[in-house]
Amino acid sequence: MSNPAELSLDQAPPIGVPFRFFLTAPLFALFAALMLLWQGPDLLSSRWNPALLGTTHLLTLGYMGLIMLGAILQMLPVVAGVPMQRPKLIASIVHISVTGGILLLCSGLIFSVPVALEISMVALGAALLLFVVLVIITLRRAMPQNVTVRAIRMAALMLAATVLLGLTLLSNYVFGWWLKDREMLVNLHLTWGLLGWVGLLVVGVAYQVVPMFQLTPHYPAKLTSWLAGLLFTCFLGLATTSHSPAFRWVLEAILAVGFATFALTTLWLQSKRRRKLPDVTLNFWRVGMISLLLAIALWFMAQIVPAIKNSDAYELLLGILMIVGFAMSIINCMLYKIVPFLVWFHLQSRRGGNGPKVPNVREILPESRARLQMWLHFSSLCMLLASITLTTTFTYPAALLFGVSNLLLWLNIISPSRLYYLTNGQGQTTASSRLN
Amino acid sequence: MQEHIIDARWLEPPEPMELTLDALGSLELNGQLRLLIHRMPHMLFPILQEWGYSYQTNCSDDGTYEIIICHKDQIARLGDPGKP
Repeated sequence: MSNPAELSLDQAPPIGVPFRFFLTAPLFALFAALMLLWQGPDLLSSRWNPALLGTTHLLTLGYMGLIMLGAILQMLPVVAGVPMQRPKLIASIVHISVTGGILLLCSGLIFSVPVALEISMVALGAALLLFVVLVIITLRRAMPQNVTVRAIRMAALMLAATVLLGLTLLSNYVFGWWLKDREMLVNLHLTWGLLGWVGLLVVGVAYQVVPMFQLTPHYPAKLTSWLAGLLFTCFLGLATTSHSPAFRWVLEAILAVGFATFALTTLWLQSKRRRKLPDVTLNFWRVGMISLLLAIALWFMAQIVPAIKNSDAYELLLGILMIVGFAMSIINCMLYKIVPFLVWFHLQSRRGGNGPKVPNVREILPESRARLQMWLHFSSLCMLLASITLTTTFTYPAALLFGVSNLLLWLNIISPSRLYYLTNGQGQTTASSRLN
Repeated sequence: MQEHIIDARWLEPPEPMELTLDALGSLELNGQLRLLIHRMPHMLFPILQEWGYSYQTNCSDDGTYEIIICHKDQIARLGDPGKP
């Protein structure tokens, strides 16, 4: 096995493999913004509103899911130390099935079209489970002592459990068969998806990327050796608590303390970083961690004050903090690291030792463009929170800002992709003219 | 023999790699490049090998990695080159 941190062109999948996922994902967030513009405050009236369920899945599956799938397909061969077999074919199957499945699922929920939901069950179920099997098999070959690999493997298992639970709930929604403890299963689906899959993945990836990109000290080994395992055990334990609310509360409290420890450690490490320069990535991570801490604080307050727990705003606020504040902030900034780097790396590797100079990552994606989009994202987050806590008047500006933010994100990713294909095309033209 | 030194300690990735690959373009046939960096640049090594360079790595007590790079033709100068 080669060193897992090495990446060569032989092992890295073609650039189109991750990019097809990255380029599709922001469009789903744009659709979500359009939904909020169209339906206004009515969309946020209740978490059980089918249109809100559809819109939420535009973000969780369409935006977050697609980017994570693309990033993992890029990373798997590097972590495992062996090239993936037929990466273009696997990426095409997963991308087309998942994208089609998400469109059918969300439009089926929003416009109440049962046949769309039935087809989406097959497409999403088959593609996501194929993907999970691929991840788990590939990671079996990776170095087992790596804390990141361990966390990603557990996150993939949580994804599989979330998908299976989601398919069960969807079939119950479409066919109306009797399902015991439906609300408890919905909550489990939500917890496993947002905290189990996304949360564990962020934890595992943070162990590598925070010290690497933000030049901080490493996460303490005392924390990394047990945190993901403890969280994973608690997630599994939640499935057994349908008749013991006290035990469920204990597990949820451990999860809250575990994630709070992770968030506080990350913020503490960032305060110790070597170079104290303004940085878009750092700001995105900070807002992500603060949103996570606010969500945890809100959850604790709701345990003490029942009026908070019983209000409609509580679950919507938790959802906005966790999806837009935590997950989307982290994913958004990781795109800004991954996309220009991959463009630079593929161009650099292709040019060989004597080829023309390639632009550096800051030229490929200027930080000013990323910074503008970052402020739009933060503003939309504040507006969304205000639309729930203050007045629904903020709903339309929130939708508008969220839409513009994701449109700009999409353009910011399109631009490096165009640069890659243009530069690569020029390189090939030059090479063929030399041959001729 | 001419030596170029790149001090890439505490630069954000992939800046150390950018500086190194740019500097290789002007490296004389008998010259060598000394890269100082705060972590082992694993991703650099496959590119060096593909481009026809040899390298040798050392780690000092303060945690600085020193990567000495030269053309493969100058292999004898590094002792046991190409190995991290």
